[in-house]
Amino acid sequence: MMQQADPGLREDLMRQPWALWWLQAKRLTQIELRRNLFSWRASWIYFLAFIPTLIISIHSIVDPHDPTSISDDTQMLASIVHLYYIRLGVFFGCLGIFSRLIRGEMIERSLHFYLLSPVRREVLLLSKFAAGSATALLLFVTATLANVALIYLPFGAAGRDYLFNGPGIEQLEAYVLIIVLACLGYGAVFLLLSMMFKNPTPGALLFLGWEAINPVLPSMLQKLSVASYLRHLMPVNIGVKGLIALLTVETEPVAGWVATLGLLLLITAVLLYSCYRIRTLEIRYTTE
Amino acid sequence: MSIYKHHYRAYTGRVTPIWTRIFALARYGLAEAWSTKITAVLFVICLIPPVGFLFTIYLSNNPSARLLMGTVGTRVLAIDGSFFLRVLTIQSWLAMALASCIAPRLITLDIVDNALPILLSHSISRFGYVLGKYAALFATLSTVTWVPCLLLFAYQGYASPVPWAASNLRIGVGMLAGALIWIALISLLGLALSSWVKWRGVATGVIFAVILVPAGVGAIVTGVLHTKWGLLLNVPVMMSYLWERLLDVHNRIDNALQLPTMAIVTMLALGCCLSMVMLNTRIRAREVVRG
Repeated sequence: MMQQADPGLREDLMRQPWALWWLQAKRLTQIELRRNLFSWRASWIYFLAFIPTLIISIHSIVDPHDPTSISDDTQMLASIVHLYYIRLGVFFGCLGIFSRLIRGEMIERSLHFYLLSPVRREVLLLSKFAAGSATALLLFVTATLANVALIYLPFGAAGRDYLFNGPGIEQLEAYVLIIVLACLGYGAVFLLLSMMFKNPTPGALLFLGWEAINPVLPSMLQKLSVASYLRHLMPVNIGVKGLIALLTVETEPVAGWVATLGLLLLITAVLLYSCYRIRTLEIRYTTE
Repeated sequence: MSIYKHHYRAYTGRVTPIWTRIFALARYGLAEAWSTKITAVLFVICLIPPVGFLFTIYLSNNPSARLLMGTVGTRVLAIDGSFFLRVLTIQSWLAMALASCIAPRLITLDIVDNALPILLSHSISRFGYVLGKYAALFATLSTVTWVPCLLLFAYQGYASPVPWAASNLRIGVGMLAGALIWIALISLLGLALSSWVKWRGVATGVIFAVILVPAGVGAIVTGVLHTKWGLLLNVPVMMSYLWERLLDVHNRIDNALQLPTMAIVTMLALGCCLSMVMLNTRIRAREVVRG
């Protein structure tokens, strides 16, 4: 029986119009990318992504760069990635980008044009997700690269040595991976929330609260959070102080690939559920 | 167009005083704010901490409970400035959540549905319109901030076996002033941001983002540029400093990071002015027609 079922499934998959879907996805992604990146309304995402870069560039111009302070600046960069980008910048950036993709089109009463066109809804959803992810990644990854360059290059030879011969390049890779996973993780969650609720913001803010209190939750519950996976990928330990440090539940250190795989599985599960939801999505503009 | 009937005359009866007209808007604003279940749920959540604090005050003034808790009880159940600072802080942040839910309901719908020209064609000014909405939001936020805070203060004054209220009047006045400053700020900010965002859901998020993101940016400025002035972008920190000073509570924060009260007040005033400019730009009797 199994031997008969396998070729059937393969044949079924081969018979699907993949080339058409690919073309449709490409066009849809291009439209969304243009709207997300080059509109006046998207300017606030540039602000969220590049404001730390602006502050670091002032620091690189104004402050003296003694090679002994490289470790301080490394710690500072880790804090910026962990406390600003993951908790605020990427979070609110993705909330704005991804909740607009479906719910925003409903508000503007334009989603039915897509739904009436001969495009599979899953293709529509995944293209929109791809466009949102590309926007978020382009801005936040560029900002991270610029931050690292502006932190280390003003140190001159010592900074270049740290970056290219020391642990700098590994840290940069880790930061980029963290930002990529954060954008994809938050993006998938907000896309789903925007389909589930008329107003996704309270849900997103509850999610922000969940992410904030996550370190003090039991280790089992910590697995249901984006930030907990990202914490294991941080190349520099920034440490917590005060009452939070007392309440923090230290989990077993997890290997980088396990954390990455765990988060990718979470993203896949959320996207699969979103694909299932969009098949039965109905629009009632009168209630929006 | 020909007009055949010429017997229309202007109304000559008694006219409602101008200052009372804003109450009509406030009344409808309140009805709109309370028309959703989420407002009721949030309001109930806002009242849970005061119940807990009330119980703490009761225990603190109950000799049997104090005896049972021993020396730990004296420390845990101390009713002083720090206790009321905790009450004020929690209530103020809950009020912020309530404001982010209510403010967009009050103003976004009027703007998105192009209702402003109709509303402002009545005998009410733009200032009156904003004041009416502001009054609705301010009244709702008052019920979860200074009202429960002062009720707890009054209960402590009543339950305490020794004269307490008169000697701690500074705490009561500080709580009232601190809560009024906070709700005045978030009401203005909430209305201003809601008037600029046409999607109600986004407006809720934007209100939070406008408080939290500059706080993060301020922390980066403080950390990277080694200056305490970055904290002037951090509303939560500024308000904590202000509340501590109003309630005369000694804080545990490093002296080097302390901000002058005048700088804090100036920043908050600037925030209010910016909100008023935003409202002035947006609240106009115009209709947006998209082709």
